[in-house]
Amino acid sequence: VLTTVQRRAYSLDRLSSPQSTKGQNSQQPRTERLSPSSTLTQRNLSAAAVKTLCQYDFLDIGNVEENLRRAKKCKKIRHFIINPDLANLVAHHLGPDIQDSKTVLFECNPGPGVLTRTLLKAGAQRLVALESDKSFLHDLQDLEGRLDGQLEVVHCDYFKLDPIGNGLLKPPIMFSDKLFTDLGISKANWTDDVPIKVIGILPHRNVRGVLLKMVYGLFEQLSVYRYGRIEFNLFMSEKEYQKLTACPGDMLYYRAFAVLWQIACDIQLLHKEPWDSFVGSSRQSTTVSRGNLANDHMCLVRLRPRADLFSSGLTPSNASTLLMMVKQCLAKRKIRLIERLNLWSPDSGSKLLSELALPEDVLTGHVYPEKYLHLFQLMDKSQEFTQSWLYEEILENTQRGGW
Amino acid sequence: MCVQFLCAESNLTLQRRKLSFFIPKTNDDKKRRLEQSLVDVLEARIQQLQSDVVDVQHAKVQFVSAPSSRTASTLSGKSPKSQPQAKDVPKSSKSNASSKCMEKPSREKKNKLKKEQHLQKIQTKVKESKASKGSQMLPGTSHEIISSTAKKTAPINEKKKSREKLSEEIRAAVSSTSATAAGTAALSQKALEEAEEGMRRRHLNTDIYNIMMRVWSKQGKLDQIGHIFILLQEAGLKPNLGSYSAALECMGRNTNCLPEIITRCLNQMEEDGLSVDDLFSRCAFRQDEQDLVLNAIRVVQPQYQPTLTTNGDQQYPSVVENYYTQRTEHRYPKLHFTKQELQERFTQQLSMEEACTVTIDSVEASKPATENVDKMRKLLSELRAQWHKTLLQAFKEKKMILFKTSSKNLRSNLYPYICLLNDSEYVDIMLQSVTKMPLSGESLMILAQDLGDRVYTKYSVRLKQQNHMVQKISSIYSSYIDILAKDTEVLPRERWCELEAEHTAGPILKGVEFSWPYIVTLQVGTFLVDLMVKNLKINSDVLGSAHDRKLIPILYHMYTFRCTRQVGFIKPHPIYTQILQDAMDTKLTFDSYVIPTLCPPVPWASIKFGAYLLTPTKIMRTMEGATQHEALLEKSQNLQPVMDSLNQLGNCAWKVNKPVLDIIISIFNDKGSVKLDIPPPMSEAPKIPHFNPQDPSYMATEKAQMRKEVVDAKKKWGEMHSLRMDALYKLSIANYMRDQVFWFPHNMDFRGRIYPCPPHFNHLGSDVSRAILLFAEGKPLGPKGLDWLKIHLVNLTGLKKRSALQGRLDYANSVMEDILDSADNPLNGKKWWMDADERWQALACCMEIANAVRSPDPEQFISHFPVHQDGSCNGLQHYAALGRDVIGATSVNLMPCDLPQDVYSGVAQQVEELRARDAEKGQKIAQVLEGLISRKMVKQTVMTVVYGVTRYGGRLQIEKRLKEINEFPKDYIWVASRYLVLLVFSALKEMFTGTREIQDWLTESARLISKSGHTVEWVTPLGLPIIQPYHRKRNQVVSTNINFQIGHDVKERPDTVKQKNAFPPNFIHSLDSTHMMLTSLHCYSAGLTFVSVHDCYWTHPLTVDTMNKICREQFVALHSQPILQDLSTFLLRKFCTGPIKMKQMESQTPPHLKTNTTQYGQLLFENLLFSMLLFFCYRLEKHNFSLCNVNIVTAVVLILI
Repeated sequence: VLTTVQRRAYSLDRLSSPQSTKGQNSQQPRTERLSPSSTLTQRNLSAAAVKTLCQYDFLDIGNVEENLRRAKKCKKIRHFIINPDLANLVAHHLGPDIQDSKTVLFECNPGPGVLTRTLLKAGAQRLVALESDKSFLHDLQDLEGRLDGQLEVVHCDYFKLDPIGNGLLKPPIMFSDKLFTDLGISKANWTDDVPIKVIGILPHRNVRGVLLKMVYGLFEQLSVYRYGRIEFNLFMSEKEYQKLTACPGDMLYYRAFAVLWQIACDIQLLHKEPWDSFVGSSRQSTTVSRGNLANDHMCLVRLRPRADLFSSGLTPSNASTLLMMVKQCLAKRKIRLIERLNLWSPDSGSKLLSELALPEDVLTGHVYPEKYLHLFQLMDKSQEFTQSWLYEEILENTQRGGW
Repeated sequence: MCVQFLCAESNLTLQRRKLSFFIPKTNDDKKRRLEQSLVDVLEARIQQLQSDVVDVQHAKVQFVSAPSSRTASTLSGKSPKSQPQAKDVPKSSKSNASSKCMEKPSREKKNKLKKEQHLQKIQTKVKESKASKGSQMLPGTSHEIISSTAKKTAPINEKKKSREKLSEEIRAAVSSTSATAAGTAALSQKALEEAEEGMRRRHLNTDIYNIMMRVWSKQGKLDQIGHIFILLQEAGLKPNLGSYSAALECMGRNTNCLPEIITRCLNQMEEDGLSVDDLFSRCAFRQDEQDLVLNAIRVVQPQYQPTLTTNGDQQYPSVVENYYTQRTEHRYPKLHFTKQELQERFTQQLSMEEACTVTIDSVEASKPATENVDKMRKLLSELRAQWHKTLLQAFKEKKMILFKTSSKNLRSNLYPYICLLNDSEYVDIMLQSVTKMPLSGESLMILAQDLGDRVYTKYSVRLKQQNHMVQKISSIYSSYIDILAKDTEVLPRERWCELEAEHTAGPILKGVEFSWPYIVTLQVGTFLVDLMVKNLKINSDVLGSAHDRKLIPILYHMYTFRCTRQVGFIKPHPIYTQILQDAMDTKLTFDSYVIPTLCPPVPWASIKFGAYLLTPTKIMRTMEGATQHEALLEKSQNLQPVMDSLNQLGNCAWKVNKPVLDIIISIFNDKGSVKLDIPPPMSEAPKIPHFNPQDPSYMATEKAQMRKEVVDAKKKWGEMHSLRMDALYKLSIANYMRDQVFWFPHNMDFRGRIYPCPPHFNHLGSDVSRAILLFAEGKPLGPKGLDWLKIHLVNLTGLKKRSALQGRLDYANSVMEDILDSADNPLNGKKWWMDADERWQALACCMEIANAVRSPDPEQFISHFPVHQDGSCNGLQHYAALGRDVIGATSVNLMPCDLPQDVYSGVAQQVEELRARDAEKGQKIAQVLEGLISRKMVKQTVMTVVYGVTRYGGRLQIEKRLKEINEFPKDYIWVASRYLVLLVFSALKEMFTGTREIQDWLTESARLISKSGHTVEWVTPLGLPIIQPYHRKRNQVVSTNINFQIGHDVKERPDTVKQKNAFPPNFIHSLDSTHMMLTSLHCYSAGLTFVSVHDCYWTHPLTVDTMNKICREQFVALHSQPILQDLSTFLLRKFCTGPIKMKQMESQTPPHLKTNTTQYGQLLFENLLFSMLLFFCYRLEKHNFSLCNVNIVTAVVLILI
């Protein structure tokens, strides 16, 4: 069982740069990887050979079987990166700038800390491990103590930051202000360089909810986005990736969700990895196997917010109107955009469409995300739309609409 | 098989010939024969049409001018009459190939020429007939309707819906059509085609064929009926009663029908094992059908008289067996009206229901109108007139489009359903809902359902009028009211049944209604909503605020997002709501069933007919689309006690308490009063702040703040408006009824809880509506009546909850001055009544007491005032009684005891003990809670525990209580509440050992049943079958752009979580309702006026003691039944046989079901009778019926004997 779980059956790496080929070359031949211990030694050797930065023994990844056992013991439904190859690959994809001390790395739910150690070995200058499960905390804190400030460990569930309801908050649930203040990270301008890179695996439950909440926060510069353009490097299911990057014309998946993310971010698929390479906590084995029948890969996706997002008319305060506009338009994809526009303000639809150089009969599901942004900018300038009561109606719904 | 009796008819040869073409030999041969058959059929059809035309009465002029569409000018030319013909031809021909060729002429070039010749022939003939008959003809409307209806079923078949659903749809559709059109010839042709298509064939059953036979028999076409009999045989189906009744009806219609044919038919029937008597007892006859069938039979058996099987040897449930078999001492209450009066009321009610809507004065009309109001009213009425015109126009156009596309667009073909009423009636229905649109909009689904229901109701009333039902109801009702006005030993239902049996002629009252499938209702509704959204417009500058004039819609279809789901929403434009609000309509239009009935409701004598005279009502309210209840009820043989109870509650006459109503209206029309629960008018609402989000002078944070304020203000505004409208409706209806005596017809929900049908104004409503209701009948107070009034008053105040009855009485006597002052100067005096819990009822009670005290002899004072008593109090009582649980029973006062016991204090005490123990052990949280545990803290959790509150819910309840304690450290709330809920649960477990066990057993059984794919079902001790309507949701596309979640599809896969969690509370509710029904039956036989609000029972002050006695006796009687054993047996028999064995369930049966009950618990059950403490708790019944709001009594009081 052990061997099959940790074996990386194959990987679809989409990077075509020379670096990526190097990454793939560094993988072990399959036969050798059948034995865990041999993999381990091999891995360590090669890691040492490739990265001279490995200066601490305690960054040794540790016994794979031990890590595996601990991951399996986790009571929540989670996935872990146990395989050192995989961890290396992720570290590699994060690029050389992890050694840059200005970029903070957030690792969500490191678990036994395989990726944590790999990143540190790869030279991460500032790594924050946000672990939601107490059982992993101790070891991580132990590691923290042995290092010289490169690693900070916080008991925190990143994907549950800034809960909507109110009440007594107990770790791992916390507000982003507290997290960032504790870490001493200050707010940054939107156009500055990416201050934080978040690495992790999207939780299984309520993926859509988490991603929607993120993108709403992004547009309104709420939550973590007050601290600048935070970049995500997330593993998500292939299906989710498909929905995120759906193109106009795909009437099933091209929805507000996709449009908003595509307006807001550069989306890049860094890597595809089979599900088998991840270790699931024992609770979920059944659900996972059922869920990935159709898509048997996890995608490592980079979501980097565009620096110029707020440069032309869109501001965090009017972004909520854009959100609502896109959602109302794409609630149905097979209706004409002009009908929607005329609803907002009668007779203005054709004028707007001609300004956008779109045909009169264009369906909402056929309009590109950039066009929606442009449309919004035009509407925002137009007198007629500010007069429309629906405009006010939209405002009304912003607070919690759809979270 | 069955055709020989019809052989004499001439056309049969033709039919035979057609049949022979069914399997053509070769291709060429086929073609030749097809053409031949085509000729035959066309000729036949022409003959038919010529005779049909005479029957056709309903001329629809717009279609005459309509160019024919489908068969196109190439074939049929412009004559509208020829169109249905052309369409019909291929359908009647017995081949699929030829049926296609007519509709797609281009593909069949070879045949074209010949066909054209034929068609020309037809055309000329048609023209002839047209010329001769003039505009009297019905050019194809009905044909269209029917063919489209039949087609409609096709996609459904393909979706593999069950046969049952299919026939239901066809039946619904066809019965719709029969209302509008008489010339339904094409129906049969269409269905023949359907029968030929093998794939669909399996969905057809005899009943579907019967529908067509019926149509033919209306026209007296015996040959066609014969044809269908052949088809039946061909399809491998057996004719049933319906088939023979149609055949006989047709024979009865043809006065010159040969006796031999009838004899043959009867013989055939006998061969099929059906008796003539069955016809009369089991067929649902309409109009004159019954008489015609009888005529036909009497041709051969002149002496024949149907012998109806009576309900004589009825089996009653054991708990009420004596009630029905020994009734010498029964004194049913009679109504104090003359027959003449009741007759007049009946006429009024009938005309109201025939109109379907009632327009009444709004109570706001009495307000003086300002200039602006006048202006707005004028504007609104102009707008409405204009909208009526546009909608009518749009409706007609849309109808035309549907007519043309009916054959192409199979899926959402609504055409038959929009032909049921006059066009302008549809428009009225739409305008009615525009007027009532809530400010914040309405979800599309609800709106659509409303509109669809309204169309159905109206159609259904129409149908009854056409079927001559009205006359029959009138004649039965006029005999029925005889018994209401005098002493008898017959129950209303029994009398009604007798009368129905006497009035054999004419249509059958029960069983003519086919409710539409839920989807169809929604489709009709969305069609109308769509029309409204697209066509209702208003000028943007109508209020002078817009900067330019544009025609803008008043309704918008938008989406709101809930979690990740999107919900369609219809929102009105603010300009429109502004007008609506400023105008303050002086008239309100309601559906007729919203108004209480003006005459005693029709007793439920069968599950299909009762309550209103014409408005269709279900005896059991069900969730949208759920049909299993109906099926179960139909199968159930002994619902008489349940129906009698419903009838008893519905027969209580009411009147309005005018002094109280006037005070309330005066406050309502002034500024309202939040304190007194009279919603203030919108002029009192907070202004919605206005700001321009584009204004650069605002900071981002300021904008956010202002935005939030706007949102809050709007929310508040919407809430106020809906409260105000609700109160407006209630008060307006009450005001409309102010000088009338009226009745509330009742029906029940799926657990048997009984509700009045009129939704706004009824005795289940809020404090305000209850305060304006009085019994129409007055009774003297008697020796103890005044005391009861006083105790009732103290109960209403919510004070002295823990005192015994005497204590309450003493208290009332001590505040007599305040009481009298309240009665005399309600608004300007000391206002004692305003601090009561139920202030308006308290005020009404003060007035009644004042009047009684001041009358010369209070004992003789005639009181109309209802005094409330709480019935079975508490689900815990049922559990304790079921479990024969001594400690538990004592604490809920089922055992005799010196002092009233309070279960909540008991639990609190237990919890405190457990806490102290933990605190000693050093548990931090237990120490923090020192001295904080009170009765109040645990009360809500204890009382909801029987209704299935979970730990999660219980924790939330306790959290709320903890938050109310200011000094309690906020950080501990979560931990403390979690800790406390555990303690409460374990305390309850200790006290009510049996209760938990029973609950667990019920839950586990439900889980197992549901897991095995079944829905949990049981039968109450009164014989009411209950089924839990919780199924997994499924998305269903209703029309092209609407997608709804439907909970009740054909598969009905149970939702295990809901099935299991809801079973214990539902079961207890069903016991509760059974107890209420038993009490109501016995009160009725004792001559009492009795009504109930679930477990709060109302009667005259004079009869309170009698009612209390009955209530207790019936509780004992109910629990003397082996309730759990019966349940267990039922479940085992129902679910443990067959393929699914549930061995576990048997083993899970609680131990005391196996052992002797008395061994297990020592509760001497009969103790109850002597228990002084039972049931006298006044209960604050909130007007909300949801489970969590069940607000169960706190205080228990000694009975005065």
